[in-house]
Amino acid sequence: MFDYDAERFRVLITELTRSNVTEETWHWLSEKFLAPETSAINSAFSMMPRKTGKLPIIRNNQLWVEIEKLKPGFTLEGWTIDRLGRLCLLLQLDPTDKEKYVKTIENLFLAAEVNELVVLYSSLPLFAWPELWLMRCAEGVRSNIGLVLEAIMYNNPYPISYLDEKAWNQLILKAFFTGKDLNRISGIDERANAELASTLVDFAHERWAANRKINPHLWRLTSKFIDDDLLTDLKRLFEEGSLRDRQAAALTAYQSDSDSAKSLLKSYPELLKAIENKELNWSSLTPEE
Amino acid sequence: MCCSHSFDDRKPQIVAEAMNLDIIKGMKFFDPHVHMSSRTTDDYQAMADAGIVALIEPAFWLGQPRTGIDSFRDYYSSLVGWERFRSSQFGIKHYCTIGLNSREANNERLAEEVMELLPLFIYKEGVVGIGEIGFDDQTAAEDKYYRMQLELAKEAGLPIQIHTPHRDKKKGTQRSMDIAIEHGIDPKMVIIDHNNEETVKEVLDRGFWAAFTIYPFTKMGNERMVELAKLYGPERIMINSAADWGISDPLAVPKTAALMKLKGISDEDIKMITYSNAIAAFAQSGQIDENDFITPLSVDQTEKFAGNTVLRGGQQPRTDKSSIIIS
Repeated sequence: MFDYDAERFRVLITELTRSNVTEETWHWLSEKFLAPETSAINSAFSMMPRKTGKLPIIRNNQLWVEIEKLKPGFTLEGWTIDRLGRLCLLLQLDPTDKEKYVKTIENLFLAAEVNELVVLYSSLPLFAWPELWLMRCAEGVRSNIGLVLEAIMYNNPYPISYLDEKAWNQLILKAFFTGKDLNRISGIDERANAELASTLVDFAHERWAANRKINPHLWRLTSKFIDDDLLTDLKRLFEEGSLRDRQAAALTAYQSDSDSAKSLLKSYPELLKAIENKELNWSSLTPEE
Repeated sequence: MCCSHSFDDRKPQIVAEAMNLDIIKGMKFFDPHVHMSSRTTDDYQAMADAGIVALIEPAFWLGQPRTGIDSFRDYYSSLVGWERFRSSQFGIKHYCTIGLNSREANNERLAEEVMELLPLFIYKEGVVGIGEIGFDDQTAAEDKYYRMQLELAKEAGLPIQIHTPHRDKKKGTQRSMDIAIEHGIDPKMVIIDHNNEETVKEVLDRGFWAAFTIYPFTKMGNERMVELAKLYGPERIMINSAADWGISDPLAVPKTAALMKLKGISDEDIKMITYSNAIAAFAQSGQIDENDFITPLSVDQTEKFAGNTVLRGGQQPRTDKSSIIIS
C-alpha cells in the first residue's frame, strides 16, 4: 500500500502539526480526522489557512530529521503551517478503501487553488498506492503555473521513482522551457537517457538558430551520449561560448566516458584543473551575464 | 456581470480630455470588479502601469450559458488558480468572489448542482465574498437562488457582491436590499453594484456599500461619477470597471481618479473611492491583507537567482510595444 513507513510518518507529522498550532486550532483539526464525510475533509482542507495562519513552521529538529529520514528526498524546508496542516489532514485519510481514498484526493486536485495544488503535488510521494498517481503527476507537469511545477520538480522524490522515461523526459524539458533551477531537481543526472539527450540537443540547435540563449545545464544530460555531433557542439561551446558555456562544456566532457571528449578537455587545462580541485561543478557555474 | 449590449446604446463619443494619467502617478488603485479571464496580457500590463495593485474578479456568466456542472467547476477553479497566477505575473494581487450568477439561476437543474459545488470553493484563500449574485430578469428562480446564496454567505461570514439588473433597475435594486434585510444580513456586509443617480441615495441611506461601474455606453460615464462624488462624498462609495468581454475599459478606475483630480476632488477622497473603501468592504472576509500589495513586487524581471536567470514569481518579461521587431 505504501512504499515507506507511512504509519510512523503520519505520527511524526501529526505531532509536528500539533506543536505548531494553538489548542483551539488543534481541537478543530483533530475533529476532522474522524469525520467520515468527504465534504468535511473538503472544507477543512480549503479552510486550513484561516485556522492555522500562514507562518513558517517552527522547527523541531528531532522530529524534522526523523521525518526527512523516513522519506529520503522529501523536505519540510520552507513549509508554512497551513501547508503542514493540510498534509497532516491528507495523511489521516483511510487508504484501505482504495477507490474512495483515490477519489477523495483526486477531487481535491480538481477544485484546488494554487497553494492547495502545491500541497497536493508535493505530497505525491507520501500517498498510498503510489503507482496510481502517475497520470496525476504527468498532468501536473503540463501545468503552466510556476509554483505547481516547482512542487513537482523540487525536493520531490515521486517523479524520479515512478515516472516512466517519457514522462520523466517531459518533466526535464518543461524545466528547461520554464527556466527552472536544474540543480534543485532530484535525480536529474541519474535519469539521463539517450532519448532525452537527443531531444535536448535538437532544442539547443533550435535556440542557436533563433539567436537565443541556451541554459548550459542542458549539456550535463548529454555527457553519457557523446557522439561526433555532440563533440562538434562541445567544440563550439569551448570556442564561441561565454565563460559559463565553457564551464558547462568542460563539466560535460569530464563526466563523459568518451575519449575524444576527454582529450578535447585537455586543451583547456585551467577548466580541467578547476574541476579536479573541486572548484567547478554544476552548482558553481559563473552567473549568466 | 455586465452588459446586454445593443448597438443603439453606442453613441459616438467625443474625446474631451486627452488620455494622461501623469497627475495620478504614484497613487494606488483597487478595482473591486473586473473580469480578467476575458482580458489580455496587454490589459494587465496597462493596469499595473496605471497603478492598479489589486483587483477582485467576481464569478459571472461567460456571455453564453454553460451546459454542465463541470464548466462551473473549471471556471471557479480558474478564478482561484490560473487567473490568479496570470495576474501575479504582472504584480497585481488577484482576489475573487464566487457565486451563481442571476442569468444561470434560471437553469434550475444546473443551479441545484452549482449550489452543491459552491461550498467547495467559498472557503478557499483569496475568496473575498459571494458574488456576483442578484437579479437579472427578476424571475422566481432568480429569487430562490439569490436567497439560498445569501444564507450561504451568512453561514460563511462572507461579504456579498450584488449585481443589480439593467432592466427595471430601481425596483430590482430595492428588492435586492429588501431580501437581504429579510434574511438578517447586515447591510455593511453587502456591496450593491452598478448604481446610478437613481439608486444611490437609497442604497447609502439604508447602510449598504454603493459601487459604481464606469462602463462606456451602458452604465456610468466618469463625468457623471465625478458629480456624484461631489454630491455624496466618499463614504461607502467605490468605483470599478466591470471590464469583461464587452466594450469596456480596464483602466476605468485610474482614469476616473484622474478626472476627479482634474475636477478638484481631494486626494484623500479619491483614495477612499478608488482604493480604501473597497478594501474595507471586502476585507470583512478576513481574506485581504493589504501587505500583500502595498510592498511593490519585484519588477526586475531578469533578476538572477542561484546563478540562473529566473522570472521571479513567474513574472512575465515585457515586450517592447514601440518596436515593430518581435524577438
